[in-house]
Amino acid sequence: MARRIVGLLVVLAIAWGGLAAAVASGLTPKLGLDLQGGTEVILSAEEGTTGEAIEVAIDIMTRRIEGFGNVQEPTIQQSGDEIVVVQLPGVEDEQLAIEVVGQTGILSFRPVFDAVPGEIGPLAGTGTENIDDETGLTVDDDINADEAWLLYSDAQFGSEVLDVGPAALEGADVSDAVPFFEPNSAVWGVNLELTGEGAGKFASVTALAAAFPVGDPRRQIAIVLDGDVVSAPAVNPDVSPETGISGGQATITTGQGDGAQDEANQLASVLRYGALPVEFEVSEVNKVSGTLGADSLQAGILAGVAGLILVAIVLLIVYRALGIVAIVGLTVFGATLIALFGLFGRALGVTLTLAGVTGIIVSVGITADSYIVYFERVKENLRAGYAVADAAREGFTRAFRTILTADTVSLLAASLLWVLAVGAVKGFAISLGIATVLDIFVARFFTKRAVGLLADSALGTGGRFSIEGAAR
Amino acid sequence: MSTWGRLNRGETQIDFVGNRRRWFIISGVLLAISIASLGVRQLNLGIEFVGGAEMRADNPAGADVADVRSAMDDAGIGGAVIQMLDDGEAVRVTMGELDEDEADSAADALSVVTGSDRSDISAQTVGPEFGSLVLRRSLTALAVFIGVVILFISWRLEFKMALAGIAALIHDLLITVGVYSLTGFNVTPATVVAVLTILGYSLYDTVVVFDKVSELVDAEDKMTYGDIVNRAMNLVLGRSLYTSLTSLLPVGSILFVGSFILGASTLLDFALALFVGIAAGTYSSVTVAAPLLAVWKETEDLWVERADWVARRVKSGKS
Repeated sequence: MARRIVGLLVVLAIAWGGLAAAVASGLTPKLGLDLQGGTEVILSAEEGTTGEAIEVAIDIMTRRIEGFGNVQEPTIQQSGDEIVVVQLPGVEDEQLAIEVVGQTGILSFRPVFDAVPGEIGPLAGTGTENIDDETGLTVDDDINADEAWLLYSDAQFGSEVLDVGPAALEGADVSDAVPFFEPNSAVWGVNLELTGEGAGKFASVTALAAAFPVGDPRRQIAIVLDGDVVSAPAVNPDVSPETGISGGQATITTGQGDGAQDEANQLASVLRYGALPVEFEVSEVNKVSGTLGADSLQAGILAGVAGLILVAIVLLIVYRALGIVAIVGLTVFGATLIALFGLFGRALGVTLTLAGVTGIIVSVGITADSYIVYFERVKENLRAGYAVADAAREGFTRAFRTILTADTVSLLAASLLWVLAVGAVKGFAISLGIATVLDIFVARFFTKRAVGLLADSALGTGGRFSIEGAAR
Repeated sequence: MSTWGRLNRGETQIDFVGNRRRWFIISGVLLAISIASLGVRQLNLGIEFVGGAEMRADNPAGADVADVRSAMDDAGIGGAVIQMLDDGEAVRVTMGELDEDEADSAADALSVVTGSDRSDISAQTVGPEFGSLVLRRSLTALAVFIGVVILFISWRLEFKMALAGIAALIHDLLITVGVYSLTGFNVTPATVVAVLTILGYSLYDTVVVFDKVSELVDAEDKMTYGDIVNRAMNLVLGRSLYTSLTSLLPVGSILFVGSFILGASTLLDFALALFVGIAAGTYSSVTVAAPLLAVWKETEDLWVERADWVARRVKSGKS
């Protein structure tokens, strides 16, 4: 008896305390786009696009969004083989959103004219109307412009602004790029291979750079992706200013250590897929205003609470004292579910969408069913002449089998939906899946103990409201 | 003794199998209406499936349908479908496919005519190819789901039960889709999700009935298969009804809150399908799945012999 009370209190403490702790530490569920407002862009690549190419494209988009500034927690996810879902919470200008993510990456190699120290981030201040105060040059993203332009280098190359010339080579001039490791010197780098046409262009641009003394910023070749300098390697001291780097092959070293390895891999992918950019088609743009999101959330919560109250009333009328167990059980279920969403939101980026809220409301029905299956068993046993405590114990064993079968079907449905579906449907599947698994735990660790205790208490036998009363 | 009391004690004596003709006629009529409606009216597929653009704006200026239509015409957007939501407090405009500039001018026009802020307009544009992809994926999910469920039930119970369950499931599916066709409700990916959920419910209900049937088959050796099915269904009838009630209540509250109070359309898309589907699912597991199973199983040699034997016993007065 005492052990069962302790067990029950532990479950209640975990559920209610867990929720309180989660809320206190700010682990509230992460709301999806449709509940907080923002823009979602779904992009489809052509059939047969490799997964690696899409990964690189996602990488490029992430960089662009970072440059965009002021986007809270953007998410970019690959869904299926050819679909990328970009969510930009709080972004209400859908045109801008499409521009940022919908265009393919454009790669170019450019001569460097000068390096100016500065604190400007990538892509900041781009746009044709912007004229740089110091140089008077137009800051532009249009790679076809033949005039000199000013580009900003990444933070990783030191905060400096590179003043670069027109494109000497473009992505199509690169035939391949592979990362390599040189074991003797423990140096990482990228082997660059150029097309026949690219080889000539590369030789002349490197010849120009080699004419400057070592250490001069003009010895560098800027590798530019979407108006963003991804790397600016300097031409080696032994390269002749007459011939440049000829033969259509070159190596770019990135240095030693893990950082250098990552950089080599990243640079190689940029170089390779800059040549073969992924063509995305904008398949769906979905913009939800903040007010509509807030309304939907309110509607969902209202419907959920109203539904719970109605279910509670029915359970109390039909199952009397057992209904109390079900109601407390539903609060355990609800509290744990919200806490879990908070936790998963933080740890795995799982968001609670409108479809997810619906999934939760649906799962209230599933949980209620587990109680009904169990309570009906108890009633059946009582009518067969069992004592209340035995009816409860034996009933659970039988009912738990049915509950497991039921939840298996639901979990099966949830997993299939999650694997096969796109977009909103996934949110629904996540809620349904989490709720189904939770239902099994609540039945085993809460309901069983609570009904056992209730059977031994004054509410077990005697009176219309007791467990026995419900069976009569 | 009230019906409710008997229901609570599993003591109802409804002859589900014997009355199967009546149930089959009701189901047949419902199916015929659904299929006819699908043939004549088809489904109102949402832009997610066929491509197009949809915008939603609040309507502080109190514009009516004609105002919005002329504003859209002026913006060069023809053939827009305009719907008033929340008693005219919000407007939904559904259009064919738009390019970026057209979408921009449509949103501008909508913002002017409704007096709502440009940034408060919700908009969704979908390419037609993506729509068909979503549809294809959903149908694949459906096919895979049915296959997996047949395997699961065959393993857990038996193959004939799996097929009877699937028959009931297709029945529920057709009726739900028929209701969408009849009411002209928008079919969105959310609807597809709801339909897939129904399948779970419908099957689960059927599994519970069949689980009881196989329990009784093991325990009883003096009953015909039809009698066993009847007995099983009367025993689980209370559970089935209460389960459906507790499932329908939250879904019903979504339907109510969604349609009468806040007009959150995604919630509505889910709720209608769920509501119809759960109701049909409960009905069909009792009136379609179980009688079908009984009819089919009673043709097996073992059960033909059992039926003959029971009939002789009744004749000779030993019951």
